[in-house]
Amino acid sequence: MKILIFACKWCGLIGADGAGKKRIQLPPEFRVIAVECAALVEPDAVIRAFASGMTGVAVLGCHLGGCRFNDANHAAIKRLELLKTLLDATGIGGKRLLISFGTAHEGYQYAEVVKTFFEELKTMPSTVAWTASL
Amino acid sequence: MSGIAVFLCRCFGEVNRVIDLDSLQKKAERNNDVVSSAVCESLCLADDIEKTASRIRESGAEKVVIGGCSHLARGGAVVDALVERGIKRSAIGLVDLREACAWIHKDHPEGATEKAWDLISMEIAGLHHRRASDDVTVSVCPEAMIVGAGPAGLSAARTLAQMGFKVHLVERGSNPGGMLNLISHVYPSDEKASEKIKTFVDEVDKNSLINFYPKAKINSITGFAGNFNVQVSSSAGEQRLRVGAVILASGARVWLPHGLYRYGKLKNVITQMELERQFIKGPREVKAAVFIQCVGARNHERPYCATMCCPSSLKNAVRIKEENPDARVFILHRDIMTPGSVLEAYYRNALAKGVQFIRFEETNPPEMLGNERVEGVEVIDSVSGMKRKLECDLVVLSTPLIPNDDNVKLAHMLGLQVDRYGFFSEIYPLHPLETRMDGVFICGSARWPVSSDNAMVQGEGAAAKAAALLGSKAVSALSLSRVPGEKFGHAAVNAEKCTGCGNCVAVCPFAACRLQKMGRKSISRINKLRCKACGNCVSVCPNGTVQLPEQDYRAVAAMIKQAFGEESAL
Ligand SMILES: Cc1cc2nc3c(=O)[nH]c(=O)nc-3n(C[C@H](O)[C@H](O)[C@H](O)COP(=O)(O)OP(=O)(O)OC[C@H]3O[C@@H](n4cnc5c(N)ncnc54)[C@H](O)[C@@H]3O)c2cc1C
Ligand code: SF4
Repeated sequence: MKILIFACKWCGLIGADGAGKKRIQLPPEFRVIAVECAALVEPDAVIRAFASGMTGVAVLGCHLGGCRFNDANHAAIKRLELLKTLLDATGIGGKRLLISFGTAHEGYQYAEVVKTFFEELKTMPSTVAWTASL
Repeated sequence: MSGIAVFLCRCFGEVNRVIDLDSLQKKAERNNDVVSSAVCESLCLADDIEKTASRIRESGAEKVVIGGCSHLARGGAVVDALVERGIKRSAIGLVDLREACAWIHKDHPEGATEKAWDLISMEIAGLHHRRASDDVTVSVCPEAMIVGAGPAGLSAARTLAQMGFKVHLVERGSNPGGMLNLISHVYPSDEKASEKIKTFVDEVDKNSLINFYPKAKINSITGFAGNFNVQVSSSAGEQRLRVGAVILASGARVWLPHGLYRYGKLKNVITQMELERQFIKGPREVKAAVFIQCVGARNHERPYCATMCCPSSLKNAVRIKEENPDARVFILHRDIMTPGSVLEAYYRNALAKGVQFIRFEETNPPEMLGNERVEGVEVIDSVSGMKRKLECDLVVLSTPLIPNDDNVKLAHMLGLQVDRYGFFSEIYPLHPLETRMDGVFICGSARWPVSSDNAMVQGEGAAAKAAALLGSKAVSALSLSRVPGEKFGHAAVNAEKCTGCGNCVAVCPFAACRLQKMGRKSISRINKLRCKACGNCVSVCPNGTVQLPEQDYRAVAAMIKQAFGEESAL
């Protein structure tokens, strides 16, 4: 399992910090890249992550209306939702991209989002085959 | 690539209880980019910070990776302390090994150690590509534009002029005074509205620092904090203004209750505002009046309380009573909103004067009786459950204030946001008079329905906030942060690569990007002082022309490559 999480500094990253402070135990197979805003997560970067063999990619941003940058996260959501349909079309599967806005601000929420994503990905077909062929 | 120094913090055992830091240090030593590495007991102690800073200097390393606790814990403070000791912020990478690793993976020491190394190598790889945005400093024009000459705008203008700043007061109507020109007397002092506003209006005439622009229309606003360029057409013709700050005091408008309570069909069913207008003309003989509250407010469509309609009804109910003590006056309400000691006393005064209060349910609104004229009102008193029939010759509907139509247009020009109803959004909750665009302030009913007293207080507050900016000689792009802490950076365009597609212009939430003609092609120009570094433009740029130097696509790509060790890389 290889999960990459893009966490916005004002929501997901605060959740990550909170989960740590509460010592909530999580499986270690995920890595976090902090971003100033979820809007900085380029669709290209998500695709690159899958091409590098990630099992899943998550983007955690602030709730709609709660973005520090006016409606930047609004635009981000639209872009990423669109990307999901493309991932479906390519066979990678849109479900491997988790888009979560405003649901990971508290430590326990963050932990729940991560855990659920792990469980969800476990039920999906292995990616070994296509990553091996890369 | 110049060298990187790696410092790993044990945090008195909190980190190394789970993560094998010594093995990480050995791995770091083997990395070609790392020129120095160390494991410390506690980086955040002053002693160790001093030591760390001098070790970085001695090692000749240009960049440094700190592995310790999270930014929100002490990590941010460690970075700040290193910056204070002369190390560039963009040359410091912080890896959270405590909150994001050791503490959440206690049961998996091996996995945690592996992850810790990956996180460190991601940071090393990212640092390779990280640059600092170049700053610009621009002088501040010490003048302000205030949009709207209601109580809020007038008190802001007066405050700024008293401080010695030149003010351009731009008003859509012909006269200063705003909504107070439309109402007869004001609660809670019951003085004439024109009296209340008089000192402020006189100030506009007398004070040479206040330029008044009647019948004005704002055509465009460009620029940034300290230097806005405004095009206004007014009765004085088309003008260009250069101002350092913009205060929005454009108020709100009254919602009209078409379709409710047979308004417009029955004579003598009027709005509160129409009653005010009649009172301006003189006393009005009323035998029995019924006021209905929350008409079009606190419902599904407009769940907010407009705050000024309950006190207005109390004011006018008492006035009817005073003009004709025999008159019967009823206020049909869902709740009476009179917060604070002054308004509560105002409510008690109305009770004492014999105004009757009847509560009804939102689901059971009163009904109008009569054919051409209103003859009575039928209401189910929600306290007793009884139906009451009130004879009357006047029904007054209290309707809320709603946002002006051109708020959205102004917001768009300035890179602001309006809330779900259309009022200008403040920076909630810490900066109630400021917006997400530096140099733009809001006050009065433009921000949220208020009474005129509150509008004036807010006007003074917004003026004080604006003065802090206008009084500074210059602003620098990197000092303009609308989020806590340092500004991350700002987006930069590679003029050679840019094809002028305009994607960035379309998505920028702060209207910081625009296309500029360069010879035969157009290229995107990003205003460093308006840009807040959200990265939206970066994400939609088709050829990577726009980048945030602090975290460009190469940095992200390099980090992804290292995320699960070299072997996961392509
Ligand atoms: C029926 C009624 C009775 C009231 N009674 C009382 C009372 O008794 N006591 C009390 O304290 N409050 C009362 N209020 C509330 C009071 O009127 C408002 O709180 C107050 O006027 C708000 O002041 P303001 O300056 O924010 O906005 P406004 O008074 O609305 O002034 C805004 C000004 O901006 C101008 N403007 C708008 N858009 C633009 C633009 N794009 N460009 C240039 N100019 C523009 C408008 O023409 C206007 O002059 C009452 C309100 C109503 C509706
Ligand atoms: S002030 Fe009174 S009438 Fe106006 S919305 Fe609030 S509760 Fe309703």
